[in-house]
Amino acid sequence: MKRVLALGLLAATIVAACGGGSSGTGGGSPAASAKAIKIGLVTDVGGLNDKSFNQAANTGRLNAEKDFSLQTSVIESKKQEDYVPNLTTFAQQNYDLVIAVGFLMQNAAWKVATQFPNVKFAIIDGAPANDKGDTANLPNVANLFFKEQEAGYLVGVIAATMAKNKVGKATHNTVCSMGGIPIPPVDRYIAGYQDAIKTISPTTTILNGYSNDFVDQQKGKEVGLNHISKNCDILFQVAGGSGLGYIAAAKEKGVYGIGVDVDQIDVAPGTVITSAIKRVDKAVYDTSKAVKDGSFKAGDNSFNATNDGIGYGKLDSVVPADAKAAADKALADIKSGAIKPKTDLTVK
Amino acid sequence: MRQPTAQWATGPAVPVVSVVVALAIGALFVLASGHDPISAYVDLFRGAFGSPYDITETLIQTIPLVLAGLAVAVAFRSGLFNIGAESQLLVGAVAAGAVGARFGSLPGPLLFPMVLLAGIGAGAVWGGIAGYLKAARGVNEVITTIMQNYIVVFVMHWLLQNGPMTAPNALGTPASAPIGDGAVLPVIIPNELVPLTRLHAGLFLAVAAVVVFWFLLWRTPLGYELRAVGLGARAAAQAGIDPRSRTVIAMAIAGGFAGLAGMIQVSGVFHRVFDGFSSGYGFDAIAVALLGKNSPIGIVLAALLFGGFARGGTIMQANAGVSSQLVSVIEATVLFVIAAELIVRLLAARRRGPKPLEAIA
Repeated sequence: MKRVLALGLLAATIVAACGGGSSGTGGGSPAASAKAIKIGLVTDVGGLNDKSFNQAANTGRLNAEKDFSLQTSVIESKKQEDYVPNLTTFAQQNYDLVIAVGFLMQNAAWKVATQFPNVKFAIIDGAPANDKGDTANLPNVANLFFKEQEAGYLVGVIAATMAKNKVGKATHNTVCSMGGIPIPPVDRYIAGYQDAIKTISPTTTILNGYSNDFVDQQKGKEVGLNHISKNCDILFQVAGGSGLGYIAAAKEKGVYGIGVDVDQIDVAPGTVITSAIKRVDKAVYDTSKAVKDGSFKAGDNSFNATNDGIGYGKLDSVVPADAKAAADKALADIKSGAIKPKTDLTVK
Repeated sequence: MRQPTAQWATGPAVPVVSVVVALAIGALFVLASGHDPISAYVDLFRGAFGSPYDITETLIQTIPLVLAGLAVAVAFRSGLFNIGAESQLLVGAVAAGAVGARFGSLPGPLLFPMVLLAGIGAGAVWGGIAGYLKAARGVNEVITTIMQNYIVVFVMHWLLQNGPMTAPNALGTPASAPIGDGAVLPVIIPNELVPLTRLHAGLFLAVAAVVVFWFLLWRTPLGYELRAVGLGARAAAQAGIDPRSRTVIAMAIAGGFAGLAGMIQVSGVFHRVFDGFSSGYGFDAIAVALLGKNSPIGIVLAALLFGGFARGGTIMQANAGVSSQLVSVIEATVLFVIAAELIVRLLAARRRGPKPLEAIA
């Protein structure tokens, strides 16, 4: 008797759940007829509050929504296997633009974009890549790339000026950098950084290392402590979450750090002197605008100093005026083409 | 004869109540975030089951949850708490991915069984190690299986980032080379019927595994012995069943189920192994087994619920603007309610006599 009752209860719940769902399906989506331009953003597994990449992309989405009265949505990916269904979800609902945040989604974007040739896609930091890993341009996909070497160059100018003039705690004329994994966007940052230092202060010792991780702070901290023990007093991190450990090492030992991707001056005030910035928000904003204007361009789209796609962040008060002046001069020279920062590492 | 259904029937009230309570508490969170709970839940449901495509995506999420849930449940039934389904799943995935890529040129009829056995076998050995340590040295399986999780995660880092399995051109993410075509589980629904569906033949393997689980535990002498040990090791020993050997066997079977889950993810979904592959199915599986009361039907229903949450949460975020993190809140609340019930039962049992979860001292 008890069993019958329990099963009945279970069945009732299921029926109730189904009923709720099917009545909802009748509602339909109100936006379908409105003809507003629809833009969907799919984050990678870092999630919306990563204080970096995904968050910046979402800021760009919200700004574009406000300024161009678009209809936008976001999906946070919880696992890598969600990339394909999440992109598909937007494509199936006839979104005008689907944005994939991060090179980790290259293959997923290729899979979905080839299935939905009438939907436009954009990949931050990447191009569509087939199952073998070969990238290829697709007629409906914009590849949003950044000239990280230019941002690296700008913070390199600041670091080199401070090291050369022995400003504040930077007394050993030695500057360092740490990447996460040696992949092209990471190494471009570091290449520009080293290029600036070699140009401005040839006598400065340069060290570079990798934490082999983008998440684990402890690994970044170990590399940082090692660098500091070798007299480094300016540490530039290009390693996401792992890089926060590199900054933490600088803070613990009382030397300077440089943030990456977004303005990280608030991560460790007094330690972080500036940040090499890549304006992911601007890439999302501009691409959304392009879809609205009808000026969407498939293939490689470059975000660089010329279109304010890169830059350097807020400066700590320890950074002297001549360092800022040098960085601003370098920025102008990069824009004019007088300086072309290197993309290959000087010091591995 | 009656036991599996009887077990389920003694308790469906608790799982159902816990889900209802969790949904109600979740609704409060939705309200607090300034959204309409009804429309959020409608989107949650539609996202999971609203269209044929959604249903197939939900099933893709459900398959590994069912298998990892069985891995936890076999251990539970034998008086063991298997926290290591995650690492057993990963070991199975790595073994399947390694064999599938290394012998990728072999024809399917040869390659597929090899990959299948590699996945199940690796998981079984890995699970069996925890069982052996418990049986031979008395090391608590909760501790060993947790530590095994870490070992696997870091060995995978090494294997895939710059170790023997690293593929030269791996999409920027550390990954292995793709498995051979013969090792791939085919998509089972034609593209004309459900466009773009990824639902693969792993579904049949999962159904088969549920049947094996039921048959093994309730239709074979070994299953009887495992359950006897689970209900009371000392009593079982008195009856001539050696709890030590059954402990090793139970953990090996558990690892086999989880290893199969990993193999299916490789052969059915990703066709390669990559770093960060896990996704936490092995941990969700503990909730699935508890919610499903360690019974075959219960596990399938609980996995379907959690799989639906995973898929539906995505759509809820896209359409209703409610963070898909809400799903985690609901899942955690389900666990809380079930845990509360477990605590009450344990306290009651303590007053009556031996404690069921510590039967093997």
